Amino acid sequence: MDFMTAMDIAASGMSSQRTHMNTISMNLANVNTTKTADGGPYQRKEVVFQSVPVSDRFESMMRSELDREVKGVKVVRIQKDDRPLKQVHDPGHPDADQQGYVSYPDINVVEEMANMLTATRAYEANLSSMTTVRSMVAKALQIAR
Amino acid sequence: MKGLFADHIDLSAQVMQLRQKRQNVVAGNLANIGNPNYKARRFEFEEQLQQALQTGQGGRLTKTDPEHLPTGLDQARVKGDLSQETEFRVIQGEDAVDLDKEMAVQAENSLLYNVLAKVLQKSFSGLSETITKGGR
Repeated sequence: MDFMTAMDIAASGMSSQRTHMNTISMNLANVNTTKTADGGPYQRKEVVFQSVPVSDRFESMMRSELDREVKGVKVVRIQKDDRPLKQVHDPGHPDADQQGYVSYPDINVVEEMANMLTATRAYEANLSSMTTVRSMVAKALQIAR
Repeated sequence: MKGLFADHIDLSAQVMQLRQKRQNVVAGNLANIGNPNYKARRFEFEEQLQQALQTGQGGRLTKTDPEHLPTGLDQARVKGDLSQETEFRVIQGEDAVDLDKEMAVQAENSLLYNVLAKVLQKSFSGLSETITKGGR
């Protein structure tokens, strides 16, 4: 276990939060999307995080229990949110049904904003751990000066 | 002091290593901050260190005779313990890592690490000063 471990972990966290942020942007961009490749309106997406070992399996076998317990994170999948669609009465819309209702994805902008802030804070937390490690390495290098 | 280098150099180096491990654990917690099934992990070594230094509850063995064996520093025993927090925390349904706590641990840890690095740096520069200027 060395400094690179902490760097790797922080990097895994930052990249996961970046994916989270991309997903939130995607949700916000598709607030009014009624056509998708799968057919039907866009459905809100949610990321699923999973904690994963920092090193690959063989390498981790060679390590101590402590080193195996310390885990990074990754996004395992981006899953559809099955909340019901929002029905808006708009008979002029090309995707309106017989009754004149259009199905829009039920995306709450405020909710997405809150998620965005959470993702930003989590990203910053990882960044701060990386900065701290960097300063620790710099201090350790100064021992020999 | 057995040789050129004082005992505390080895000890400081080991504590620096332990602090580095703690930083890794904190980094792991921070990375998994949005992960619902993750439990924050803690890395503790202070108590073991205290015991090794014999300043803990047991106290230092007193020498009543000059021929008693000195009680040396058993620093190899200080390995540190990893534990998982067991209490459930539910904040907006998914938060298992306390950001403030992690930040506090990280700040304290890196500060003490830097102090130890400084101590080592000073002891080495003091040593070289003694070597270069002692003969004059």
